[in-house]
Amino acid sequence: MEERNHWIFAGRAWMAVAFVFLYLPLAVLILFSFQKNRFPGLPLKGFTWSWYEKLFDDGILTVALQNSMLVTPAAATVATVIGFFAAYAMNRFVFRGQALALAVMVMPILIPTLILGVAFLGLLSRLNLSGTLFSIFLAHVLLITAPAMAVIQLRLSQMPKSIEEAAWDLGASELQALYKVVLPWAWPGIFGGWLLAFTFSFDEFVIAWFVSGFDQTLPVAIYSILVAAIDPSLNAIGSIVFLLSGLILVAIELVLMRVLLRAKAETPAE
Amino acid sequence: MSVLSRTPFPAAKQRLRTPNDSPLKLFCLLPAAFWYGVFFLLPLIFLLWIGFWRVENYVNVPDFTALNYIEIGENLFARARYGLALLQSLYVALTNMVFAVGFAYLIALALVYAVPERWQRLALLLTIAPFWSSYVLRLYAWQTILSKSGLLNATLGYLGMDALKVDIIYTQIATRIGLIHFLAPILVVIMYVTVRNIDRTLIEAARELGASRWQVFRKVILPLSSFGLALSGSFAVIIALGDTLSPSLLGGGAGSSWLGNIPVFSGMLIADYASSTNLPRTSALATILVLVMVGMLLLGYRLAERARRNISE
Repeated sequence: MEERNHWIFAGRAWMAVAFVFLYLPLAVLILFSFQKNRFPGLPLKGFTWSWYEKLFDDGILTVALQNSMLVTPAAATVATVIGFFAAYAMNRFVFRGQALALAVMVMPILIPTLILGVAFLGLLSRLNLSGTLFSIFLAHVLLITAPAMAVIQLRLSQMPKSIEEAAWDLGASELQALYKVVLPWAWPGIFGGWLLAFTFSFDEFVIAWFVSGFDQTLPVAIYSILVAAIDPSLNAIGSIVFLLSGLILVAIELVLMRVLLRAKAETPAE
Repeated sequence: MSVLSRTPFPAAKQRLRTPNDSPLKLFCLLPAAFWYGVFFLLPLIFLLWIGFWRVENYVNVPDFTALNYIEIGENLFARARYGLALLQSLYVALTNMVFAVGFAYLIALALVYAVPERWQRLALLLTIAPFWSSYVLRLYAWQTILSKSGLLNATLGYLGMDALKVDIIYTQIATRIGLIHFLAPILVVIMYVTVRNIDRTLIEAARELGASRWQVFRKVILPLSSFGLALSGSFAVIIALGDTLSPSLLGGGAGSSWLGNIPVFSGMLIADYASSTNLPRTSALATILVLVMVGMLLLGYRLAERARRNISE
């Protein structure tokens, strides 16, 4: 047993090292968003809110945040709607080329955004749409449909087929059954898929950089400030964004995973 | 939409409608088909096509000429040095893969074998959580940590350990740190699933038969992880080849490595577009990058297949 403890200790020590590596940048970001230091380093010079005040006085990042808050929820919503219908079709029907369709739907996540960005630019400049928030929206919907669909399909696959069939037998049309039976069942999946899609779009930089023009989303605006100079108000916006993503992650974990796991435990009763 | 209606036998028409023949099938697939057709397949076709256009007086002219590819071919090692950038990319991506996969594999092993069952889920979640913070901002944080007068060096100086100061910002080492930080959560998930699915009775059997822990790892755990390793390796290479942010923010554009101060291909592509807005040439460069990635994927696929065959034997 002595030897075993030895290995387990080594494993846990490695986990500790890994956590330090993974969380160091986030800790630095949050810590120095509240410190008077112009450049991060020791000694700490004391607590201040001034970087947060500067952030909202400057306006560049807040405008970009507004742009992001326009594009991201819209893209996430459209992607979730498309993803819901596709997931429903994939789950219920059998059709020729189903495997191919699934493969094509997953491809935008696997293809680097750099390639997609250049490709989009080509198409959008041809359509005279490049350089607008709308074009970022169009591209982001494509990028985030697959993750949204995956979560919804996970939920739909747990639905006993019998409940939809029961609705048909009781006289509901297929559309009514979809609306009154499938949709309520899929709701947690739809919510989770939307949140996942939201986080993907919110953080996407490369496509947004290529097609944005002057209407920058948040990652693009941050990048353009950051290549110019070190500005501690970036720490402030970083902390805000991290808080936002953290809340979304907790929402997914607490609300969604609980529902998904519970549903799995209930279904064998059918 | 029914396939049956096209059959010449009238008897077939009278067959009962099954839940699989429904107008909803087409209706539900249509939005996805439309969006993917217009905003995915069309742009990709455009990408390939625009690579053959030419630029005349700063205007893109539709054409079918290999001029862009010839220009890139002529400048592989001169002027823009696209070839050197590609080599730098491959060098950074492949070495980075070794470190990233090794790092993630050790985390996965520690998670499965050293963390008690009821804490595993939480520990895994905590490992993945950083993925949900903004990538650009994480790189900014690394910049403030690693830069010459950054947090790391300032702290070392404050503690009187000037001899330990590091000078790695704007090198490809810094690029790799940013990449590994981005990749780790994804790779840990792949490797965790892989290691977790290894049958524990195999390990116990090997131990009973007198194998040492190292032998169990070498002869049982490692071979059974090889498929996951090949998968996460390919993933790491593809992401590293396509990433532009870490090479730009931490690598400083033309980050130094033993190949010299050469930018990576993806970074060069973006810089090339930003300075010239020559979309045809950019499209040609992007097409080349796609081909290289497909090559890497095929290589990874062959390794994974071989790993799978070895397991089943």
